Amino acid sequence: MSGVGLAHNTLVVAAGVAAVGFAAGVVGSLCVLRKRALVGDAAAHATLVGVAVAFLATGRRDLPTLLLGGLASACVGLGALVLIRRWTRTRDDAATAIVIGVGFGLGIALISGIPAWGYPDSAGLETFLLGHTAALTARDAVVLAAVAAAALAVVVAAFKESVLVAFDAAFAAASGWPVTAIDCLIVVLVATMVVVGLPAVGAVLVTALVVIPPVAARFWTDRASTMLALAGAIGLVSALVGVAVSASRPGLATGPLVVLAAAAWFVVSFLAAPGRGWIARRREAAAAGRSWDEGLVIDACLRLTGGGASAHADAEATGAFTEEGAIAAAAGDRADGRAAAARAWSAVVVAGLVEPAAAGRWRLSTAGRATAAARRQRVEAWLRLFAEDPDAARGLATVDLTGASGLSSAIRS
Amino acid sequence: MTVAAAGVQTVVDGSREPLLEFHDVTVAYGRRPVVWHVDLAIDAPCLFGIIGPNGAGKSTLLKAALGLVPVVGGRVRFFGAPLDRVRPRVGYVPQRETVDWDFPVSVMDVVLMGTYARLGWFRRPGSKERRLAAESLDRVGLADLVGRQIGRLSGGQQQRVFLARALAQQADVYLLDEPMAGVDVRSQEEIFRVLGELRRDGRLVVVVHHDLRTAAEWFDRAALIDMRLVASGPTAEVLTPDNLRRTYAGQLEILDEVGRAVAERGRTS
Repeated sequence: MSGVGLAHNTLVVAAGVAAVGFAAGVVGSLCVLRKRALVGDAAAHATLVGVAVAFLATGRRDLPTLLLGGLASACVGLGALVLIRRWTRTRDDAATAIVIGVGFGLGIALISGIPAWGYPDSAGLETFLLGHTAALTARDAVVLAAVAAAALAVVVAAFKESVLVAFDAAFAAASGWPVTAIDCLIVVLVATMVVVGLPAVGAVLVTALVVIPPVAARFWTDRASTMLALAGAIGLVSALVGVAVSASRPGLATGPLVVLAAAAWFVVSFLAAPGRGWIARRREAAAAGRSWDEGLVIDACLRLTGGGASAHADAEATGAFTEEGAIAAAAGDRADGRAAAARAWSAVVVAGLVEPAAAGRWRLSTAGRATAAARRQRVEAWLRLFAEDPDAARGLATVDLTGASGLSSAIRS
Repeated sequence: MTVAAAGVQTVVDGSREPLLEFHDVTVAYGRRPVVWHVDLAIDAPCLFGIIGPNGAGKSTLLKAALGLVPVVGGRVRFFGAPLDRVRPRVGYVPQRETVDWDFPVSVMDVVLMGTYARLGWFRRPGSKERRLAAESLDRVGLADLVGRQIGRLSGGQQQRVFLARALAQQADVYLLDEPMAGVDVRSQEEIFRVLGELRRDGRLVVVVHHDLRTAAEWFDRAALIDMRLVASGPTAEVLTPDNLRRTYAGQLEILDEVGRAVAERGRTS
C-alpha cells in the first residue's frame, strides 16, 4: 500500500519537475534571445538569501513560503544589478558577477548558520543548493507545475512583444512599446522559473535549465517559435532524466544530473544539427572545396582542349592533353593546390567526364564537354547577375558555380 | 519654391503645423553636447536629407525626435503634436548594424513587426497584416525571399527588409538612419526609388545621410548638421562651398570633391 503511495508521489513529483523544465526552457529562450543569459544566474544565486530569510521568519520548511522568499530576493538581486550598472557605471559582466558572488555568499552564510542557531526543523535547507527531488511532496510538485504553467501562459500571450524587443529594442521603443517594462517582464519570468527550479536543480545549477536548452535548440531551427518549443522539450527531458537517475541511486543530487543531461543535448546539437551543426558545416565546407576543385579541373581540361570551339580537323590530336598538364593547369598557386587538383582529377576520371585518348593522353568525353560548357554558362550567368544586381547575387543562399555539380555526391553514393 | 510641395497632395489635413519641427533641440551625453540648439521645421512632404560628417549628431537628432535619447532642452513636434500622440504616423528605419542578423526570424517575421504597433498588446498578426507585409516586401523587390532567415541576405537586402518593415507601419513621416551605409549602388537606387514613391504619395521622408555626392542628386531639401544646424533649405542652396566648408572644416579633400560635383550640377541644371 505504502509502495503504491510512494510510486504515485514519485510520478507526481517527476511530472511537476518536467513541467518546470519545459517552462524554464521556453522562458530561458527569451532571455537568451535578448542576450541576457547571465540574468538567470544572478537571479539564481540571489534566491538563497530569500529562502533562508523566509525560513528564519516562519521557522517552517513550507515550500511555497520558501520559494516566495526566494523570488523576492531574486528580484532584489536583479534590482541591485540594474542599480549597480546605472549608478556605478560598472559594466554588465562585472555587475552580474558582483550580484552572483554577494547573493551566494550571503545565502550560504545564512543556510549554513541556521542549524547552529537552534532551528529544529532546518534539516534539508541545503538541498536548495544542488537540488533534491526526493524531498518533494506531491503537493509541492503541483505548486511548481502550476507556477510553470502560469509562466508559460504569459510567454504565449506576450510572445510577439518579447521577440520584438529582443530583436530590435530601438525600433520597438520608437513605435511606442514600453521596452523597459517588457524587459522587466522577461526578467521576472526568468527569476520565477529559477525559483521553481530550485527544489529540483538547486541554486548553483538552475541556470543550466534556463540557458542550455535554448542554446541547444537554436542549432535546429531558424524560427523563434520553434526554438522556444524545442528548448522547452529539451528542458523537460533533461529534468526528467535528472529526476529519474537521482531517484534510482541514493546520494545523487538532482541538479548536477539535470545539467549533465542538458549538456549532452547541447553537445549532440552543436555536433549533429543539420545546417548549423559542426559536422554539417564541415561537410558542406569540404563538399564546396571539392566542387571548386572539380570545376577547376574540368575548366582546365576545356582550356587545354582549345576552348571546345576548335571545330577543325582531328580532335584526337588537338583535343587531347596529359593528366599532368590538366592537374598543373587547375592547381594554380594554392599551397595544397596540386594535391587537391589531383584528387579532383581522379573524381573527374571516375565520373567519366574525361576518357583516354591516344598515347597516354586524355580528352573530354561527351558528358565532360557538356559539363564544362554548363559550368561556363552558369559562371557567365552569375557574373551577369552580379553586374546587374550585385545584391541579389550576393544574397543567393546557394550558388553553384562549380559546374561539376553533383559529381562528388554521385561518386560517394 | 520647393520641388516637393508642387502638385502633391499632402497628408496634413488643412492644418498649418509643420510635419516635423525641431525647436531649439539640445542633446548631450553627460556634459558633452552632441546636438546644439537645433531649430528646424519641415512644412511639406519631401525627401529631406540630414547631412554632415561622422559624429556630427545626425543620428542622435533622429533618435531625439523618436524619444530614444532624452533631450536636454527644446522640443520636437510631429504634425504640431508631441510624438506620443501621433506615434502610429511615424515610421523608423534604424541603422542596420544595430540588430543581430543571426536572430531566428524570417524576412516575413521582421516585416510583420511593422504592423505590431497598430495591433496592440497580445493580438497576433493575421491575414490582413500578412498581406500588408507581403505588399511591402513586393515594393522593395524582395517578394521571393519571404521565408528566408534574415542572416542569409546580403547587406542591401537586409536594408530593404528594414525599409519594408517601415512601409508596413503605414506612416506619414519616415525617419531613416543611414539607410545607404554599406549598401551597393543598385540597392541604393532601389531604396531611393521607394522613398521617391513615398514622397509622391505625400509622405515626408527624412534620411540621415553622409555621402555628399549622392546627397545633391537625391534630396529635395537638406539640412547640414555639425552639432549645430549649419544650413537648411532646398538642397542646391544648402550644399554651397561656403556651407560645406563650415560643416566639414578640416576635411578639405571631401570639400574639393564635392565642390566639383556641385559646380557640375550647377552647370547642367
